[in-house]
Amino acid sequence: MLFPSTEWFSTLAKEANANSERFRLLGTVDITLVAKIDYPGSSKYFEIVFAGYRCLGVKELPRLESASKGAVILEGSADTWRTMIDNIQRNGKADLTQTLNTLTLFDTPMRVSAENQLDTDLFYRYQQNLQEFFDAAAKTRTEFATAQAQHSMQ
Amino acid sequence: MLVRRDHDTALRRWFQEDIFYMARFSQKVQDVLDQAADIKNRGKVDLSWMKANPAGWGARAKPRDDRGLGLEDLNLIGGAYGTVPDTGHSHGSMAPRGCEVPANTPSLGCYDINDKSLVWADNVALLYDEAVARQWSSARDVPWDQLTPLPDDLERAMCQLCTTLTEVEFIAADMPAKWMWHINHDFHEVKCFLATQIIDEARHLDVFRKRALANGGGLLKASPANEQVLRAIIEAPDYTTASSLMHILAEGFVLTLFRNGEMLAQNEVEKRIFRLCMQDEARHVAYGTMHLKYFLEKRPERAEQIHAILAAGEEAIFALSLEAQTAEPRAILAGGGVDRIMEGFAKLGYLYTKQVKEYLHRLKVAGLDRSSRIAIPVELPN
Repeated sequence: MLFPSTEWFSTLAKEANANSERFRLLGTVDITLVAKIDYPGSSKYFEIVFAGYRCLGVKELPRLESASKGAVILEGSADTWRTMIDNIQRNGKADLTQTLNTLTLFDTPMRVSAENQLDTDLFYRYQQNLQEFFDAAAKTRTEFATAQAQHSMQ
Repeated sequence: MLVRRDHDTALRRWFQEDIFYMARFSQKVQDVLDQAADIKNRGKVDLSWMKANPAGWGARAKPRDDRGLGLEDLNLIGGAYGTVPDTGHSHGSMAPRGCEVPANTPSLGCYDINDKSLVWADNVALLYDEAVARQWSSARDVPWDQLTPLPDDLERAMCQLCTTLTEVEFIAADMPAKWMWHINHDFHEVKCFLATQIIDEARHLDVFRKRALANGGGLLKASPANEQVLRAIIEAPDYTTASSLMHILAEGFVLTLFRNGEMLAQNEVEKRIFRLCMQDEARHVAYGTMHLKYFLEKRPERAEQIHAILAAGEEAIFALSLEAQTAEPRAILAGGGVDRIMEGFAKLGYLYTKQVKEYLHRLKVAGLDRSSRIAIPVELPN
């Protein structure tokens, strides 16, 4: 499955919803997360909506400005996303160096932001759920789009 | 059946042998026994409660979605149940909001925070629902079997960090406990949320104590500088100043500290501990920020008082940045060993700036601009 794509993120969403017992144990989540994948000269945006115990859906956005109000942006270069996903697939889940919190704490190599701080804080408030959401990439066969391919798709 | 018959016989004797209760019980108890005799012998029941509160009858609260029926959903009913009054009722009892309160209901005499603006936050019922749904167990949800021996300097640094966190975390339980019994019962959403915060902090105290005692180390040194911050919180003159100091300043800083702890974690045990604590802390910060926002919207004239208490709190927290037992363990963990402590300090400098900026942004959300008035530097000198 190609990363990044709506299909790829939707597979993680399906996995989370199929694993409902685990996500009910972790508790309710109310956040709209935009995964921003940066290529030289362009970016891809995928909006992932969580409400209650479910991931409600995934859609690709044409631009960041199209994101829902209050969305939290998780951004990094395509290489950073690839390193994280490779790590998850190698270890079955993110190892100590590749967790979402570790990657974003120093604002590099990933960064988390929102229009206001309370929305950014949602990223911290639901950290375990978000980590386990992305850890499901361990079960998803992934091919990575090249920067050139991304550029030609623009 | 034998048991039932014996019980009936005993009850009959109890009612018949007047001398038994007349001789032994007070007038108050005898009155109840007389009433009980009336019920039993004459079928004299009251049932007036069935006609009480007619305006409140017929409520049909419904859950929003598959998360179940939340406290917030009850407030969507509106009316006496769902409308939180600006001033709590003066009966001073624990009678639930929306019920009929008999005239002879005694006041408990302790509820003197009766103004909604002093405690309310518009997100508080939702935060309570979320807190209840997101409880975790330090025994069950931390993979303690994955704890592995660490180099001595890293184990000592982690144990000192855990000593500090065990020391400071329970202030966020003691502070709500100090004020909860003053809060009018009509603001039960706030009291329920604060109750969840108390159990959260109990869990934080216990999980850091467990980590310190679980891997061949132990508790190290307490922190006088931290106690200064804790004292400022516990001695704050009213609930909102205490909340501003604790929920926004202290817990906001600790939230970053937990994020830092997750990054510094040497194994999955510490990763999980800091990640789960981080989630709880962010919930507390969300309440504090939205409470201050509500408070300042209703009482803008109190902004200067909040500025003053925060300035004192900022100075107290800044003093922590140089206290050896607070700063050095984090620098050792961040650097990767005692021989790389200076690298660690450089990394912590960046996080300090992030802490301060996030704190200022939260205050801005609350409607308090301290960007030009903050009492401590936004960046540490190199």
